[in-house]
Amino acid sequence: MKNRLKVLRAERDWSQQDLADRLSVSRQSVNAIEKGRYDPSLPLAFTISEVFGLPIEEIFSRD
Amino acid sequence: MNAEAQKSAGFLGRGPVFWMAMFVVSIAALATLKLTGAIEGPALLILGLASMGLMVPAVLAGERRGCASQAMVKYNRRILIASFGYVLGLGIAMAVWNTYQPSGPVVFFLALLPTLPTFMMIWAMGRYLIDEDDKYLRFRTVQAALISLGFVLAIGIFWGFLETFELVPHIWAWWVLPVWAIGLGVAQLVMKVRGG
Repeated sequence: MKNRLKVLRAERDWSQQDLADRLSVSRQSVNAIEKGRYDPSLPLAFTISEVFGLPIEEIFSRD
Repeated sequence: MNAEAQKSAGFLGRGPVFWMAMFVVSIAALATLKLTGAIEGPALLILGLASMGLMVPAVLAGERRGCASQAMVKYNRRILIASFGYVLGLGIAMAVWNTYQPSGPVVFFLALLPTLPTFMMIWAMGRYLIDEDDKYLRFRTVQAALISLGFVLAIGIFWGFLETFELVPHIWAWWVLPVWAIGLGVAQLVMKVRGG
C-alpha cells in the first residue's frame, strides 16, 4: 500500500517523532509505515486520518 | 526531550550500544579466562556478576535516551533481574556440585537454581508481547523470535544427527535458551540494519 505520510509530515514540518507522539506509537512504526514496510491497523489508519484532518483515501492508496 | 538532549543523556554520557558492547567484551574475556583455566570457582562467579553489572547502565542509558517503550522498559528490567538470578544460581549450583558432590533430591533443587531465572526470562518475553501496545514493535519482536526459533530448530536437529553418527561431542540441552537469545539479538540487529 502506498501512502503520503512523508509529504504530509513535511508540509507540517513535523519530524517522525512528532508524528509518532501525536499518534501515540513508536518512531519506528512511523518510519516503517512511511517506507511501506508495514501497513497500519484500521484503528491507527483512522487516527492518522484524524491527525492530518484528511480522509483515509487521501493518505493511503493501493499499489 | 529534544534530540540533542536525548543524545547527551544515557549513562555517564554513553549510550546503550556502548554499554552493551562493554558487556559483550567482558563476557568474551571471562569465557576466554574460563576456557584457559585462568580462573575458577568464586572468582569466576564474582567476575560474572560484575560483567552482568554492565547491563544496568545499558538498560538505564536506553531508558534515559527514550529509545524504549514502557513495555520494553519493564521487559529490560525483568530480564536484568532474571540474568542476575541466573548467574548467581548457576554459580551457587556449580560450587555446591563441585565441592560436595550431592546426590538424590538435593540435585533436583540444585538444578532448579539456574533454571528458575530462565523461566522468568521466558515469562518476561511473553509478558512483553502482552504489554506492548505498539503493534509494529510487537510484530517485529514476534518476527525476530520466530527467526531465532527456526535457527535453534535447524541447529538442534543438525547437531542431533551429527551426534547420533558420532561426528560431534554430546552437548547439554540447556544450550537452547542462550542460542535462541543470541539468534533473537542477531535477528533484531539485522532488522535494524535493514531499516526496521
